[in-house]
Amino acid sequence: MAGPEGDRLIRVDMTTQTATTEPYPDEWKLLGGRGLSAKILLKECDPTCDPLGPDNVLVMAPGVMSGTAAPTSGRISIGGKSPLTGGIKEANAGGNPGQDLMKLGFRAVIVTGQPADPEKRYGLEVDGEGVRVVEADEYKGMWNYALCSKLLADRPKTASVISIGPAGELKLSGASVACTDQDKERRPARHAARGGLGAVMGSKGLKWVCVDPGKAKLRGAAEAKPFATTNKDYTKAYREGPQMFATGTSSVVPVANMLNTFPYKNRTEGQSPDAENLAGAKIVESFEERGGGMHNCMTGCIVQCSNIVHDKDGNYKTSALEFETLTLLGANCAVDNWDDVADMDRLCDELGLDTIETGAALAILMDSGGMEWGDAEAMKGLLKEIADGTELGRAIGNGAVATGKLRKHARVPHARGQAIPAWDPRPLKATGVTYAAGPMGADHTAGLIVNPGMQPDEFARASQDCQLVNAVCDSSGFCQFLQPNLDDIRNYYGLLYGEEISREQIADLGWECLEDEWKFNELAGWKPEDDVLSDCLVNEGIGPDNALKFDVDAETIAASKVRFPPREELFAMKASG
Amino acid sequence: MPVVLIPTAYRAPTGGAAEVSVDGQDVEACLRAVEARHPGFLELVLDADGKQHAFVKLFVNEVQLEAGALDTPLAPDDRLEVLAAIAGG
Repeated sequence: MAGPEGDRLIRVDMTTQTATTEPYPDEWKLLGGRGLSAKILLKECDPTCDPLGPDNVLVMAPGVMSGTAAPTSGRISIGGKSPLTGGIKEANAGGNPGQDLMKLGFRAVIVTGQPADPEKRYGLEVDGEGVRVVEADEYKGMWNYALCSKLLADRPKTASVISIGPAGELKLSGASVACTDQDKERRPARHAARGGLGAVMGSKGLKWVCVDPGKAKLRGAAEAKPFATTNKDYTKAYREGPQMFATGTSSVVPVANMLNTFPYKNRTEGQSPDAENLAGAKIVESFEERGGGMHNCMTGCIVQCSNIVHDKDGNYKTSALEFETLTLLGANCAVDNWDDVADMDRLCDELGLDTIETGAALAILMDSGGMEWGDAEAMKGLLKEIADGTELGRAIGNGAVATGKLRKHARVPHARGQAIPAWDPRPLKATGVTYAAGPMGADHTAGLIVNPGMQPDEFARASQDCQLVNAVCDSSGFCQFLQPNLDDIRNYYGLLYGEEISREQIADLGWECLEDEWKFNELAGWKPEDDVLSDCLVNEGIGPDNALKFDVDAETIAASKVRFPPREELFAMKASG
Repeated sequence: MPVVLIPTAYRAPTGGAAEVSVDGQDVEACLRAVEARHPGFLELVLDADGKQHAFVKLFVNEVQLEAGALDTPLAPDDRLEVLAAIAGG
C-alpha cells in the first residue's frame, strides 16, 4: 500500500473476537493520531461508560505522516476513556508499530467489546494477508520483554508489537501500552504510558497486537519530488542545528533543578540534593565503560534522543532512561543515583507501568511513612509485588490518588486524578494551566511552557497556543522532540496530499481536536469547577522562601479554553513536551 | 552594544526580558554583564567552575560556538543567543 488512497480502518470486536476492515472515510484524511482518536471516541464511545467495561473503546491511531519517509514521523497514539481521569485520554509512543500499520494502509485499530471470560487472552495479527484475532492464553501474565521475545521468535524481522504487561492485565490505572523499538532485538521499551490505557487494553483481554508490514513500501506522497526534497532539507537543517536532545532528555536534569522543577520528596521541595547523580551527563559517561549509547527508537528518526543503558557488567539494562523517570522514580522518592532508577525503569517497562504515575505513588507511600525515603531496594521489591496483585501493589499500580486513599494521606499532587509530571506548575504556571484546564489532566506533553518569567496575563494564551500546537503535532506522527511548528506540518500535509493546506486549516485541526476532547469530557461529567490542581500545589510553596505556589486564578484557567484569534507567533511555535 | 537573547526558560532572573543589551568585549564578559544586572542568570549558563553547561548552546549571529569558546570576541552589533534544552518526557 503506497497510501493514502485505499486506506482502511481495523475494527476488533472483543466480545466475539472478530476483526474486520473497512474503508477509511475520506473526510478524515487530515486526521491521524490524537485528533483521529478523539474523533472516533466522540463518535463511538459513550463518555459515561465504565472505562474498564465493554463500552469503552480503545483506539490505536498512527499519525498522518507515519509510514512515510518524513523524518521522525512514525509515532502512534493510543486513546480511550481513562480509568485514571475519567475523561478522554491520548498517550503516544515511538517505536515501529505506528509506521508498520500505516505501511499496510491501516489508519487506526478500533477495539470494542469485552470477552465473556475475563481469564482469556487474545492477540491481534495484522499483516498483508489481513487481520485476525487469535487465542493467546500462553502469553497470560508474561512480562513485556519475555512476551515480545517469545512472540517475535518465529516471526519475520519486519514485525513489531504493541503489548501490555501484568499491570494492564490486572487493569491497574497506571498501566501503559508498550511498543517495540526499531533495534534488531525489538524491545518493548517505548510506552504510551499516561492515563492507564494499558488497563483498558487489558479489560478487553487483548494482550498484544503484532504488525508485520512484510515488504510493504513506505507511503508515497502526491508531490513526490518536493516531498523528497523537503525531507532532505529538513533533515540537513536539523542536523546542522543545535540538536538539543543529542544526549537524551535526561540532559535537562540540571536546568530543571535550577528552575525548581526537579521535585524532591513528594514535591515538598523543588530541587534535589542528588541532582548531579541523577543527571544525564552521568549516564552518558557510563557509555564508555559499560557500552550502550544513543539510538533512534523508530526507523527514520533523526533526533536519536533515546539512550540505551547498560549495567556494570556491560549488559543491556533498559531504554530509554528519560528525564521524567529520573525525576519521579528518582528525585521525588529521594533516590540518589541513576543506576537504581534505571533498574526501576526496566521493571516498569516489564510490568507495563507509567513511570510518572508509579513514581508519584511511591513518593506518596514514603511521605505517609510507609517506606523509607530513598530506599531503592524496597521500591524494586514493591514494584515486583505489583504483578502479584497484593493490596499495596495494586494501590501503587493504580497510581497516586489510589495510594493516597489507601494511606489516608492528603498530600497527593495531581490534576483530574492523574499525577503531576516532573514539570512543576508552581514555577511553571502556564504549564499548570494546561494541567488544570486541558483535556488530558496533568500531562506535560499536552502543553509544556518552560517560562518561569512569564507574566500572569500571558498564562491562558500561552497554555492554549502550546496545547493547540502539541495537539497538531501528536496528530501528525511527528515526535515532539523534532520540534516541528505548524507551518512545517501543514507544508508536509500539503505535499502528502497534493493540495495547499492553509494556516487557518492547520490551526483549526488543532482546535477541533481540543474541542472534541473537551466535549467528551463534558459528557463524561467533568465540571469547570474541577479545573483545579490539588491543594498541596496551591498552599505549599517551593523555591526561595517557599514562595512558588500555583496561584493562578480561576478566570485565567477558564480563559485558556476560549479560543484566542490565531497570531503570527502560533505558526512558528515549536511543539514542546 | 551586543544583545544577549534570553531563552524563555531563563527569563525568571531577567524579569521576563527576552533581550538584554550589555557592554562586553567577548561572550563571557557579556554573560557576566547580564548577571550583574539580573542576578541568578549566570548559573543557568555556566557551572560553578565557569564552564558552559552541557545542556546550553551559544550562538553568535546564528552561528553556533564551540562549547567553551567563551573568549570569542563580540562586536557592538553582534547578537549572542543562549539556547537551553527545555523539554523532556
